[in-house]
Amino acid sequence: MAKSGGNRSRLLLVLLLVSSLFLITLDLRGVNLAGAIRGSVASALSPVEKLFSNLFSPIGNLVGDIRNLGQANEKIEKLTKELDQLKSKEIMDEDTVGQLSQLRNVLDLAGRADYKIVAARVINRGSSATFKETITIDVGSSSGISKNMTVISDGGLVGVVKSVSSSTSIVMLMSDPTFKIGVRIAGTQSIGVLSGKGGNTYLLQLLDATGEIKVGDKLVARGSEGGRPFVPGVPVGTVIEVQSNTSAITQNADVKASANLNQIGIVAVVVSPPKGDPRDSLIPKPNPTVTVYVTPTPTPSPTK
Amino acid sequence: MSQLRVLNTSLFLFVIFLIQETIISRINFPINGFSLYLAALMVLLALEDRTGSLVFGFIGGVIMDFSVAADTPFGQWALVMTIMGYLFSINKESIGDFTETPILFIGFISFASGFCLLFFALIGTLLGEEMGGLIRNFGLIFANTLWTFLITPIFLPLIIRMRKVMLTSREK
Repeated sequence: MAKSGGNRSRLLLVLLLVSSLFLITLDLRGVNLAGAIRGSVASALSPVEKLFSNLFSPIGNLVGDIRNLGQANEKIEKLTKELDQLKSKEIMDEDTVGQLSQLRNVLDLAGRADYKIVAARVINRGSSATFKETITIDVGSSSGISKNMTVISDGGLVGVVKSVSSSTSIVMLMSDPTFKIGVRIAGTQSIGVLSGKGGNTYLLQLLDATGEIKVGDKLVARGSEGGRPFVPGVPVGTVIEVQSNTSAITQNADVKASANLNQIGIVAVVVSPPKGDPRDSLIPKPNPTVTVYVTPTPTPSPTK
Repeated sequence: MSQLRVLNTSLFLFVIFLIQETIISRINFPINGFSLYLAALMVLLALEDRTGSLVFGFIGGVIMDFSVAADTPFGQWALVMTIMGYLFSINKESIGDFTETPILFIGFISFASGFCLLFFALIGTLLGEEMGGLIRNFGLIFANTLWTFLITPIFLPLIIRMRKVMLTSREK
């Protein structure tokens, strides 16, 4: 009896394994089974995601808030005093204000480069079912979005559209380890390839062995043919550390992204590239520093 | 195992999948996120009989393949979870020792979740996918295991209760 049960389990195992391998083979052979199913699931999930995005947008930083709980007691007294002052003012929703600020900045960035964009809200982030770094945005093919479009935020490059359903799109973030983009050091002709490392820093490999990288160098996207997947001129990041290795063929450097990928609420998808390359015009200008020269005067000696 | 229970459990898993994709994914956990779905599926697989572990492993994997953010071949999670279901089914007696003690059981579930992700990365590499750096992936797996260990006790009683509700009168 037990042997019969064991045989049945083994047969079931073989059947299920064959089914799984069959599904994988179909997918790898180009039968768009996954695309169709995932597209349907994305369309079905989209209203739910939008609903929860509105309801639970403050919970995104829940864990960080809990970590700072210890400091909260010290602030309670101070906050209580401030509360009275705040009551007299109109309290606006900070979340909305933050999103409006991001939207204004991203529109400003796109306007300077003459990009035609579609603004979008981030409604989900990542997935348990993948090692990929992705976000879900609330615009899809019905808004003119298609695969391989550049996604920017107020700071600069965010990623590239990876898949699209009618009302949502999945964006591969530039922090994904498989992400690569051709970049140029602003103000020079030195070009290189920037790769994601899965964290907050990125690896720049300069193609020109004689080129020079300095800490603080700004990087912009070189752009792809037809503006896909990357439009030219988008700020990508800033060099924070140069890796000195005399035996290496290429020069490498660590880069910090222009956009803060951990705190993006509003992004824009570039649906139409500019007619010309905006070159370095999108690099934020540094604030002018005021230098004050002081000439010390000799201390007057006390007179008798 | 009745068809009704297969249907009930599949629906239950799908609801948890929706919660995972719409709510849990939104939380920025340090290092990496926590997968409620993976943890819940591991609990179910650990409590099922041999056939149940296999069947719900496969179904649970197919549901994970629905994930819109997944950039992996459809069926990869189904393959991983079927094998996990098999591993659970052949170690039923050993797992029985864990289920007696809650802390050991939670530790076991956390380890199994981490092992699932590791196995998924391994299968992905064999299929020629770019899975990213080794250190990063180990970090992600470790963080997921840790979060599973910390958070599972909160919802474990609910999962066990829901499973009991879904059992047919004959299975009870």
